[in-house]
Amino acid sequence: MSVRYVPVQWNRIKWVYDGLLVAGVLAYLVAFLQIGAGMADATRPVDGAILRMRAFGSCAFFLLTVILCIGPLARLDRRFLPLLYNRRHFGVVTFAVALTHAAYVLGWYFAYAPTPPVAALLSSNTSYGTALGFPFEALGAFALVVLALLAATSHDFWLSFLTAPVWKALHLMIYPAYAALVAHVALGYLQDVDNPAFAILFGGGALAVAGLHAAAALEGRREARSAGTWVAVCAPGEIADKRARIVRLPDGDRAAVFRNGARVSAISNACAHQNGPLGEGRIVFGCVTCPWHGYQYRMEDGCSPPPFTEKVPTYNLRLRDGVIEIDARANAPGTPVPPLDVAGMI
Amino acid sequence: MAAKEPPFFIGWGKMPAALRDFTIGIGLGLVVLLALAGFMVAATQNDPGDGAVLGGAAAVGVLEAAPYPVLHVTDSESFAAGTALLLSGVGKRGVEDRAGSLDGKLVAVKGVRLARGEIEGVQVSPGADGMVEADGAAARPVAADLGRWRITGEICDGKCLNGAMRPGTGLAHKACANLCLIGGAPPVFVATGRVDGAEFFLLGNADGGPVTQEVLDHTAVLVEAEGRVERRGGIHVFLIDPASVRLAR
Repeated sequence: MSVRYVPVQWNRIKWVYDGLLVAGVLAYLVAFLQIGAGMADATRPVDGAILRMRAFGSCAFFLLTVILCIGPLARLDRRFLPLLYNRRHFGVVTFAVALTHAAYVLGWYFAYAPTPPVAALLSSNTSYGTALGFPFEALGAFALVVLALLAATSHDFWLSFLTAPVWKALHLMIYPAYAALVAHVALGYLQDVDNPAFAILFGGGALAVAGLHAAAALEGRREARSAGTWVAVCAPGEIADKRARIVRLPDGDRAAVFRNGARVSAISNACAHQNGPLGEGRIVFGCVTCPWHGYQYRMEDGCSPPPFTEKVPTYNLRLRDGVIEIDARANAPGTPVPPLDVAGMI
Repeated sequence: MAAKEPPFFIGWGKMPAALRDFTIGIGLGLVVLLALAGFMVAATQNDPGDGAVLGGAAAVGVLEAAPYPVLHVTDSESFAAGTALLLSGVGKRGVEDRAGSLDGKLVAVKGVRLARGEIEGVQVSPGADGMVEADGAAARPVAADLGRWRITGEICDGKCLNGAMRPGTGLAHKACANLCLIGGAPPVFVATGRVDGAEFFLLGNADGGPVTQEVLDHTAVLVEAEGRVERRGGIHVFLIDPASVRLAR
């Protein structure tokens, strides 16, 4: 959390995270270019530029695959949440690797011609009507443009400027970009060569992304959507202390009903920062704490403690026959609501 | 007994020891996995062939401009007499504009030697001495008509195939091949089987001229094409009907 914008709010965890990230990228590139390529069965070695475009391109694919696995992994097993904490740096590094791949492609396959490189990339192959020989470069270009857009708007300034829902919607473009990237590889390199290791790793990576997202979606569907203005949540004792029960409301929104000792309050489940799942967080130092980036809110009014200014909607609660009920109509962000007293019911 | 709750992670706080060990383990594991993946992908790449750029070369011979410029060598320190050299320009360009007025004449060519297996070529130097008429005279080889053939293979650009790029064939190279062909580099048909002992064929149109733009839709994939095959000295020429080109079954 911050009351002003700085390029990066460095802390020890981010340094370690980024160190491991850079080490992973370097390990891939060194293993590819300096060790593996020399052991390939080749009459003469592959051109240096082609070798590097292959190294950076495949590296970018694997990095993006890992990035997209982090979200569902963290939903299924909270021990993976630290990987999500600095995921934006992961994305920016992936864009840099993908951009290097594109630079080698443009500088080798599309240079030295009368047509300018970018125009040549988009115009030299127009076989859009066939899968075999499809201009897969256009799919890669689309994915690269999306990665550039997401990397450029990854800073909290853009999150605040665009608002969390718009920013989140924008960054969901990573999924069509990944789909385009899978098609880019499947219609290009995968059909072009007989490389079993890459085929297995490529297929396994794409299936892991799809499978983990399906598993996380199934996990999320377990929350039943309720009907009516007042929606039953559960008995107070069913909510662990300093934890929440997430309830899906008739309009599709989710609320997080937190218990802090004998007091129960409800706020929106979506963090004002990046729409993180507040209900999967905990109460730390008296405040609801988002599991993604540690943003905090008072459960009584949905406001971040001073000097921070973030706010989320609150909900009215009542008790009926020993069961907590929530008013499905959200209050404006930051609206104070007295906590429900559940002393003697837990 | 209640299940033990996993420690809660807060980015700005102190990471619980158990979570720290798990996270560092995952991070180091990813580094190792990435290194293994990089090694495996690189070590199992296909053989790109023996095409290569072999340094400077010069030759004198009879120039045949159509369908694409070919020099039939009569005298050279780099090439045996009778070798047919596919001529291309610097970058993704051909040399038709320079060769047109020299058709059938004895010509001296200087440039960079390109070779792949049975085919040879020269990237002609851009200077005035790259391609000039030589003193003397010689006859172009008599073309032997080998009849009509339907051949299966891949349409490539004769410059990259010949060693300007390695690999210079295949789907990943399709757009580059198209750019080379648009620029005037000679197209080559690489057959899956041999015809008259030849695997590589200089491509031309049925009328004896350069191929049409339709061919660009069929580069870099396995196709069947029908046309007349001629042996012209040290090279075979496949003069195809563009409408006959289709994906190989």
